[in-house]
Amino acid sequence: MYKGPIMKILVIEDHPGLLSAIVEALEAEKFLCERAADFGTAEEKIHLYRYDLIIVDINLPGGSGLEIIREVKRLGGETGIIVVSARDALDNKIEGLELGADDYVTKPFDMAELVARVKALVRRRNFGGQSVVTQGDFSIDTQSREVTAAGRKIDLTRSEYDILLFLFSNAGRVISRESLAEHIWGDHMDLADSFDFIYSHIKNLRKKITTAGATDPIRAVYGIGYKYEISRES
Amino acid sequence: MKLFKRTFVSFSYLIIPLFIVGSAIIYFTFGYVIYEEADEYLTYEMERLMEYHREHQDLPDFHRVAEIIAGQKVEKPFFRDTLILEPSDNEMVPHRELAFSIHHKGEDFKIVLRHLIPGKDDLLEGTLLIAAGVMLLMVAVLVLMVSYLSGRIWKPFYQTVRLLSGYRISQPPPVFPETDIEEFSSLNQTVTGLLTKMNGDYQRTRDFNANASHELQTHLALIRANAEQLLNQSPGDPSFSENLRNIQNATIKLSGVQKSLLLLSRIGNLEFCNAVDLDLLDYLTASLDLFREALELRGIRLTTRVETCPLRMDPGLAEILVNNLVKNAVKHNVKGGFIEVTLNCRELVIANSGLPYDGDPSGLMDRFVKGTYGNMGIGLAIVKQICDLHQMEISYSIAEKTDHALKILFPRE
Repeated sequence: MYKGPIMKILVIEDHPGLLSAIVEALEAEKFLCERAADFGTAEEKIHLYRYDLIIVDINLPGGSGLEIIREVKRLGGETGIIVVSARDALDNKIEGLELGADDYVTKPFDMAELVARVKALVRRRNFGGQSVVTQGDFSIDTQSREVTAAGRKIDLTRSEYDILLFLFSNAGRVISRESLAEHIWGDHMDLADSFDFIYSHIKNLRKKITTAGATDPIRAVYGIGYKYEISRES
Repeated sequence: MKLFKRTFVSFSYLIIPLFIVGSAIIYFTFGYVIYEEADEYLTYEMERLMEYHREHQDLPDFHRVAEIIAGQKVEKPFFRDTLILEPSDNEMVPHRELAFSIHHKGEDFKIVLRHLIPGKDDLLEGTLLIAAGVMLLMVAVLVLMVSYLSGRIWKPFYQTVRLLSGYRISQPPPVFPETDIEEFSSLNQTVTGLLTKMNGDYQRTRDFNANASHELQTHLALIRANAEQLLNQSPGDPSFSENLRNIQNATIKLSGVQKSLLLLSRIGNLEFCNAVDLDLLDYLTASLDLFREALELRGIRLTTRVETCPLRMDPGLAEILVNNLVKNAVKHNVKGGFIEVTLNCRELVIANSGLPYDGDPSGLMDRFVKGTYGNMGIGLAIVKQICDLHQMEISYSIAEKTDHALKILFPRE
């Protein structure tokens, strides 16, 4: 669960079902969301209100999401931008980021992935010096990529860290192994045994956590994947 | 060969027979004219001498004619050719002779008149000089004319060619300059028609790709989001969870296949034409880094023999090319296997251990299109498409049934 100042997010997506799904997922994380389903509404909203973060689809009825990014940048301010697009056209991706978008998600994506990206962006944007997030026994410094469990530093490999942070960002949610594989390796690893890799990473991760003397927060969900259990005391 | 050069080459084939025939005509014409003139001169001379005889009753002096022979009568004056030794040159020189007779004081005198005519060698020399002079003049005129023609008359054609060679399919068709030459105008119209059609097809394919992608991926995203939501509300029933996972998996796979197909279509549609100078080694290094973890986990031994490889291509395509090849080598490998990567400015070879394969390796090339062998088809189909686009030669070979190798030959500059 996200803890910190209330974040206002504008979600711009033309498909009503997907718009609701995104909003619900973010609201479950206690973000404050507003919706815009077309270019006109979105344009109006960015002129009327200030948002901490905007999630924008490129293909919109009435205009391009790239136009919205340009407008937001022109209006100035500290608004973070995450582009969502079905076109993973390399050129579009570059164009969105060149215009000043902070991150990019291609459809279809897992809500867990989007939530993790939103949280990462919020950390980068708002916490400045305080890049440390805490959950129960665990605290993760996302800037130095250092993990402390029960007061002890744990050395993690890049993938182990990525897995832990992803589960951590989606604490309380079930994350399927496919989502995990996709998050860590992107499109490049539709390998048959990528689940074995995840399994061995998780195994190593657990070993390191318990060796440090902390309670292992990762719970295997049978047949699906894993879940980061929210510790009761927090 | 340039139009200009070709015109001259064609003309030079013509100029040799033209020279021979022209020389022959000049030779015979001159020969004929010279005889005519000599005969005419001799006839006048004969008439003058006969007139002189009639008026003065006197024979011409010896030195005025070639020969005067008494007692011979010539019935009718006749011409003939003869060779006379010219003492000064010590050379036989051709002469034209006219023989006639005069009746003088009851006696017949045969008088022979002679006139020098040019020899055959002199005639030939003159002929050749004239012919050569004329040919030279003709070549000079032709050079001037062709340069003028290609400069002026062919100008619209060259403009069309220049505009076409600079044309990119993503741009609207160029506007060709107006020309009053019917053939060029019709060429421009035809080309404009073709380009408009091509550009339209390109745009439609592009739009279709974008729309199909947007619609599909949006709905897939929705399915995935809902499945994910249900997973989190799952009552813990394993078969329920299993079904949800299947749904999620199917959307992930479908989305991957659709992205690959879309990429194939877009490469085919030449949508990636942002060619820059790059070093393929950078991309290879990044790609091997990306898969390092997978290699470690599967215990695959990686050996590299790599050098810099400067190429001119789209950076996105370079990344896809290298990633797909490396991924293919990792994916179809076996535990404890090997991968050997060789890169230099001529070729990229990725050899890897794999499952035994008994068939013909060229059959594997066919699978590029069909993709019946897992996902291998589509990933390598994309590789092949990229290779085709950049005139790279790709080949697949298998040694000892388990050693697979994909080799890409870069085009020579």
